[in-house]
Amino acid sequence: MQAARPHIVVDDLRIGWGSRVLMEHVTFDVDRGTTLAILGGSGSGKSTLLRYLIGLERPMSGRIHIDGVGEPHRYEGVPLFGVLFQSGALFSSMTLAENLALPLTTWTSIRRPLVRDLVQAKLELVGLGPFADHLPGEISGGMKKRAGIARAMMLEPELLFFDEPSAGLDPISAVELDQLINTLSRDLGITIVIVTHELPSIFLVAHNCIVLDKPAKGIVARGDPRRLRDESDIPFVHNFFTRSSPGASATGKR
Amino acid sequence: MSVVIRLNVDDEHAHLLPTGSFDLTHAADIARAVAETERDLRDLDGRRAVILDLSSLERIDGSGAVLVAGLIDRLEARGLRTRCIEAHNPHAVRLIALYRHRTEALGEATRTTGLLDRLGAVAARVPASVTGVLDFVGHSAAAIPGAIVSPGSVDWKSVPRLMQAIGADALPVTSAANLLIGLIVGFLGVSQLGRFGAVVYVPELVVIAQFRELGPLVTAIVVAGRSGAGLASELATMRVSEEIDALHSMGFDPVRWLVVPRCLALILTLPILTWIGDVLALGGGLLATRAITDMTTRAYVLGTADAITGAHFLDGLVKTPFLALAIGLIACGQGLAARGGAAAVGARTTTAVVLAIFGVIVISALFTLFFSLLGI
Repeated sequence: MQAARPHIVVDDLRIGWGSRVLMEHVTFDVDRGTTLAILGGSGSGKSTLLRYLIGLERPMSGRIHIDGVGEPHRYEGVPLFGVLFQSGALFSSMTLAENLALPLTTWTSIRRPLVRDLVQAKLELVGLGPFADHLPGEISGGMKKRAGIARAMMLEPELLFFDEPSAGLDPISAVELDQLINTLSRDLGITIVIVTHELPSIFLVAHNCIVLDKPAKGIVARGDPRRLRDESDIPFVHNFFTRSSPGASATGKR
Repeated sequence: MSVVIRLNVDDEHAHLLPTGSFDLTHAADIARAVAETERDLRDLDGRRAVILDLSSLERIDGSGAVLVAGLIDRLEARGLRTRCIEAHNPHAVRLIALYRHRTEALGEATRTTGLLDRLGAVAARVPASVTGVLDFVGHSAAAIPGAIVSPGSVDWKSVPRLMQAIGADALPVTSAANLLIGLIVGFLGVSQLGRFGAVVYVPELVVIAQFRELGPLVTAIVVAGRSGAGLASELATMRVSEEIDALHSMGFDPVRWLVVPRCLALILTLPILTWIGDVLALGGGLLATRAITDMTTRAYVLGTADAITGAHFLDGLVKTPFLALAIGLIACGQGLAARGGAAAVGARTTTAVVLAIFGVIVISALFTLFFSLLGI
């Protein structure tokens, strides 16, 4: 494999609408098989940046290359990555099995019995084996996210994007989800980009991170999250990792 | 590169050597190779161990691993010992291990439903839906005294907005529909009554047809299609996004808070739309008559003025509040009954429009029957 070349290359990205620039000079790489966390406070543009990475929005300038391929990041029409949306985004009128089968029946010519086997294996992998015939409305939020992951993996992508996977989950479900993400990374060798602000998740899953800040209009720090926590002298980054409010550390009063 | 699983059986072992790309693109080939291997190993007894040698794999992904893992699972289930050899491919071994024992549920017959099953299921739902409708009608009836006793439990502030949405915004389309109906009745009247030299009665025909029957009916059908869909989809979306549950939890009665103002807005606006439509239909009749006969405008207007009586006018207007109430109750009832997700919103909206239009026609017909029995 071409281990030397980064899996994702983002080069001098500038994003925004009209004359309003939201972020500029956004540059980073993601190495194959590693997990990158995109961090930042609410409203810092994490999820917006993700929308550009997965091609839902067009940047004002700059480029995003996945596997050396520019937009629209497809190979013979097939997307090069899977995405887990914040709510799971399962189609509510289809059962879980039908949701998972959709990418296979659309993009491959695999016959129905074999599709069923592959779908069932993926459902078992995320712990939803007995729920194949359930509708998304009949399962819990954490199960929806796991089903969303299974659906994102149906085409065996080498790259997965996660938008706040543990948002709205109880701590135990969140840890289970993080463990699942770790399994995907370690055993399947999948490159993962994860948008989150959950500190425990970051330290559990991420090899690297970039920290976004709204006033700075871009990346303020990057690197191993543990090192950033312990060594960063940027006030925002320090506050982010130590969960302290800006007023307390900036002035030291009260 | 083709996908094969080479098989080599000696005294102690059965060597399996998967070769090629074991990925999603070749899933069908892998499944075939796995089935062939299973067939070849059918007679293997428990004395020989199965050795899976992964050293010739060109590539393997999750889908390939699922199929290989399924093969190993089934061989072990027959009591055979299996072992994976990794020459330089620890990734493949981990991947296959990840999917081991993930396919046990396979092969189970999936639930199939026959025609009779489905017929029975539909029939079994009928009593529940009838009681649901009665329940909603009763609840709505009870909401009116409740709204009068505690006016704060109704969202009165939304009534002007709803009247705007249901009434004023619908005016162009109801007006156009009524104008065209007047035109059609006018042309029909001229062509049929003209055969008896009775063109002079065309104004009266237009007045009676439009005021008594067509005006209320056509206006109500247009509003049922337009606002019926709007109200049903609004309430259904509120239901599936838990807004209705939120109202409940805050102690509001959703029927009082949402349904009363909507029905009220319909009851207030539908008569006005009907009046305006009636006037435009008279204009349509005039246009038609002027276009193909030599009747003067003055004669037509005088004929119309003679034909309009209080009875014709009231007969038509008396119906409209009932038609409005039917549209409101059907649309809101369907909206509130939505369960599930986006699909339920669509289904309920469709049902609401169909039922509202049908209901409007039935009620109109009942009024006509009633009036003719009374000789009004």
